Amino acid sequence: MTTPTWDAPGGPLTNDQFRSASDAIIANIEQVIEGKGATVRLALAVLLAEGHLLIEDVPGVGKTMLAKALARSIDCSVRRIQFTPDLLPSDVTGVSVYNQETRDFEFKPGAVFANLVVGDEINRASPKTQSALLECMEERQVTVDGTTYELQSPFMVIATQNPIEMEGTYPLPEAQRDRFTARIAMGYPDPRAELAMLSGRAAVNPLDSLRPVADAALIRRLIATVRDVHAADAVQQYAIALVTATREAPEIRLGASPRSTLQLLRTAKAVAALEGRDYVLPDDLQALAVPVLAHRIIPTADAQLNRRTTDTIVAEIVHRLPLPHDRNRSPYDTRAQGDGGLYESRGR
Amino acid sequence: MTGRRRLGLVAAAATLLSAAPLYAIFDTWTWLLQAMLAVGLVAGAAVLARTLRFPVWAQAAGMVAVLLLTLTWMFPSGEELLALIPGPGTFAHFGELFTEAGNDTRSYGVPVPDREGLLFLSTLGIGGVAVVVDLLTVVARRPALAGLPMLAIYSVPVAVYVDSVPVVPFIVGATGFLWLLVADNVDRVRRFGRRFTGDGRDVDVWEPSPLAAAGRRLAVAGVAVAVLLPLIVPGLDTGLLNRLTQVGTGPGGNGTGSGGNGRINLVASLSGFLKTTAVTDYVKVRTSEPDPFYLRFGIADVLTEGGFSNRTPTGQPISRGALTDPRDDQGSNGGDYESYRADVEITNDFAQALAPVYSSPVDLDGLDGPWSYDPSAGVVYSNRTTTRGQKYSFDYVRAKYTPAQLRRAEQLPREDSRVQQLASTPEDPKVEDLVRRLTRGQDTEYDKVLALYEYFSKDNGFTYSLQAPDVDGASAISSFLDNKAGYCQQYAAALAWMVREAGIPARVAFGFTRGTKDGDAYVLTNRNAHAWTEVYFDGFGWIPFDATPAADVVGSTRSAWAPDNDRVEEPTASASATAAPGATSSAAAGAADRPDRDQDAGLAGTTSTTTGSGFPTGALIAVAVAALLIALLLVPALRRVLVRRRRHAATEPVTVTAAAASPGGAPPGGAPAVTVTTESVRARADAHAAWDELVDTMLDYQVTVDPTETPRHTAQRLIREAELKATPAADAAVLLGSAEERARYARSPLRGDGLTEALTMVRKGLAETSDKRTRLRAVLLPPSVMLRWRLAVGDTSSRWMGALSRMRDSAIRFSPRRLLANRSAR
Repeated sequence: MTTPTWDAPGGPLTNDQFRSASDAIIANIEQVIEGKGATVRLALAVLLAEGHLLIEDVPGVGKTMLAKALARSIDCSVRRIQFTPDLLPSDVTGVSVYNQETRDFEFKPGAVFANLVVGDEINRASPKTQSALLECMEERQVTVDGTTYELQSPFMVIATQNPIEMEGTYPLPEAQRDRFTARIAMGYPDPRAELAMLSGRAAVNPLDSLRPVADAALIRRLIATVRDVHAADAVQQYAIALVTATREAPEIRLGASPRSTLQLLRTAKAVAALEGRDYVLPDDLQALAVPVLAHRIIPTADAQLNRRTTDTIVAEIVHRLPLPHDRNRSPYDTRAQGDGGLYESRGR
Repeated sequence: MTGRRRLGLVAAAATLLSAAPLYAIFDTWTWLLQAMLAVGLVAGAAVLARTLRFPVWAQAAGMVAVLLLTLTWMFPSGEELLALIPGPGTFAHFGELFTEAGNDTRSYGVPVPDREGLLFLSTLGIGGVAVVVDLLTVVARRPALAGLPMLAIYSVPVAVYVDSVPVVPFIVGATGFLWLLVADNVDRVRRFGRRFTGDGRDVDVWEPSPLAAAGRRLAVAGVAVAVLLPLIVPGLDTGLLNRLTQVGTGPGGNGTGSGGNGRINLVASLSGFLKTTAVTDYVKVRTSEPDPFYLRFGIADVLTEGGFSNRTPTGQPISRGALTDPRDDQGSNGGDYESYRADVEITNDFAQALAPVYSSPVDLDGLDGPWSYDPSAGVVYSNRTTTRGQKYSFDYVRAKYTPAQLRRAEQLPREDSRVQQLASTPEDPKVEDLVRRLTRGQDTEYDKVLALYEYFSKDNGFTYSLQAPDVDGASAISSFLDNKAGYCQQYAAALAWMVREAGIPARVAFGFTRGTKDGDAYVLTNRNAHAWTEVYFDGFGWIPFDATPAADVVGSTRSAWAPDNDRVEEPTASASATAAPGATSSAAAGAADRPDRDQDAGLAGTTSTTTGSGFPTGALIAVAVAALLIALLLVPALRRVLVRRRRHAATEPVTVTAAAASPGGAPPGGAPAVTVTTESVRARADAHAAWDELVDTMLDYQVTVDPTETPRHTAQRLIREAELKATPAADAAVLLGSAEERARYARSPLRGDGLTEALTMVRKGLAETSDKRTRLRAVLLPPSVMLRWRLAVGDTSSRWMGALSRMRDSAIRFSPRRLLANRSAR
């Protein structure tokens, strides 16, 4: 099996091809997940942004269903790990075992050697096991016994977890959380969607009838298309301004990392492409700020005492931060134009 | 407590500073010693009372009591107990002092010597002010109100020096007041504790607070208003409106109003008298002189670029024998003096601080109030009362000169002070040439003057015209010599100037012509107001020359030495032969019939000219002012329209070749390299212009603009908030939003037209959904324009303030005061 390298993902698609391919995937997933269009799109956007997805919600709202539906829609290798308290790191990465025939150690790849890795209930495993994912998620490689193994492309980890207030869970380490591009919540379905679910699942599990509509090669081309989306200087400045604002906000102990800036812009490109644009809008960044940034930051003790969630803090930052564009100045802002923009002059 | 004590001392010091203007009243500094003593004792009493924690009423009573004791001690009557405790005799003495002070104010001119009554009055006043200021500042904590009693002190020199008040004492007083305010505020701030900066540094007492910026801005605005407002308020002398409307309303006000104010502009009031439509009787004069010359009341002897103007007369009170008899003057070359007596009755309509008399009064009685005589000007004046309704009589001497006598007058040396002062002229080469030409070959002073005088003849093209503009400056006088049409004041001023140019002192006199004979009296009205020239001949004094054509002036008269220029039948030379000009001069013949000659015709003529020029001018000015106001009101609206037009011009598409650009965006996959062409640059600029216009339109219709919103959001919110849903305006707003967002963020901007129409549609939609008031405001006072102006003004002012405070900061670094304040703050 030839493994195309990540850096040669194939040629980009035209607008119509992109549109039809992405629409097909979304439509496929929506057969299983009713009434969650935005969440589904975001999940696909994370895939196209070469990121990893963390789905966090209470049990039974369809986290695993979404992960599996996404995996099944794409004709590529899918591995599933059920994280349990007694799961070992070697179960995730793989292990070298002694082969009697060859009289040598032989590497048995772990669950991460797949295009899509569904990690269910990730916070039920001990931090030791969770840490096994650190290398593969960021560097897309696994090192076991001194040997480094490349992972396939595309590679995406879709993890689900229960909110950490639930019993029997270990909160994800900060470094691990930072590896996830976006954290999304499923939310309860609305009554109509729930009714459709009831009638649809009466006879058969719809997941079984789900057929793949794309393959890894197509996904690679989709990814290449997304990489080509234009992000204007003003948009990039805005991304930086957003992330910097989380670092400077008084309610936040630890702000978002530079990695998050990159992932924010990548995801925004994917979202823009999914909407049929070849350029990123600040609107995209605004919409993505909470899913991409909120799970990375650590609020101060005061903010926690005030029951301020990171979601609301980030949402307020988005609401407060002016766009870095001369034409978006406040009418009350009389500084001379072009003095380095709002981003640079902020905080003086 | 220390804060209050210090504030009390500052109040006392400020009171003393505010008393500084009194120095202009007194001759010596005794008053200051006494005032310092009184204020110091009052302040000491206040400090003592506060240290002993007296209630407020006791503090006030203590201060008053100490003031009373101080006064008793300073102005003893001899009946006090222990020379300090006032008895009944003391108060009687105080009453006497009051009366004495009242008499002194009437009889003494400023500066006054150390009269006990006046000193008592000033000490009492300053001490009283000290008590009030102390109570207002320390007890009531309203130091701003303390400015009122302080201002009361300043009003004393203002009332005495009607013309000009020295500025320096006012500045000293104002400094005291400001000191009081600053001290109070510093004390207020200190009550809160010490000030710290954000980084914990102790803030110095004198360090400006950032909050003070608003105060500075207010102060600058206040000063600007205080300077600008008097310019436009009518009724103040220098008022701009007053200048504009002087033709219509000014003279009437000048002529009859202005009660005791001696500060009239004689030139302006003369033209007012002559140009007023109504005829008002001013003066009735009876004289024993058979052929009297003009009754005069004022002179203008200061010639500057601004023309002739009068200065404040100075002299001694008449009650103290200020009038002198020219016959006693040893230096005089004489002439024939004859003594006459005149009775003057002045109507209630003529109220001036200058009393009309015939020249050279030697004895005057019957005038109520304090009147003084300025011997050099020959003017009877008062600083306090007016001539309104006065009846008085005076003896005067009239000198008759013959030209032959006058020819004997010596030329005054160049360095003579009179020549220096009264023969100075502004630079004007034209006048210099003319004078040189006219006086060429004339040997004596008198012949020079006569030559200049004769120049104003009708033969040289001079005509009498009341419609000539007021003489306002040297240039106007000079231009009269060109256009040769004017009335008495132009003639008088021009002749005086030319005589001065010849090196002979000259001035303009104001008064009345002989008027209309009524029985044995002459009735003088506002029409008889007149101006003529007086020339100084060494050894003779001031000799009048009236260059105005006699035929055009009601009641005009001529003298032997200055015959009528325009009398053709009688050669001027022959008049010099007779010594009695009254009998032979042309004026004598004319005087009998001229005063009542075609008075009505003259009146009718002037009436028609006045109404012909005066009323339309007033109306015109009113219309002009109204138009100006309307134009000013329309400026913001106009500005908005211009901005919109410019932006519309920008959004008009030039070519439609690129209109087919796919609206959904270029294919993401096959996106070519960004091509920056002039067209795409232009399309971007178009979209930005349209967006700016949309934002301004939103401001105009009071839809808020949020800098955190993307264009897409803004457009959607506009549709939501202005209820534009499902109207063409909604689509237009969306189009504008997407055009702007693509112009900002996309590789290739949205091309094509429709932006201008979209803007129009959005504006229409907004206008339809908003109420009438908003609509009107959006058109007349567009908030977008006003906001920008307001911000520009605020920005500029704060920049100036910033520069100022930086300068002050650097200045304060070297101020020794800072060290003092530091020490006291510890």
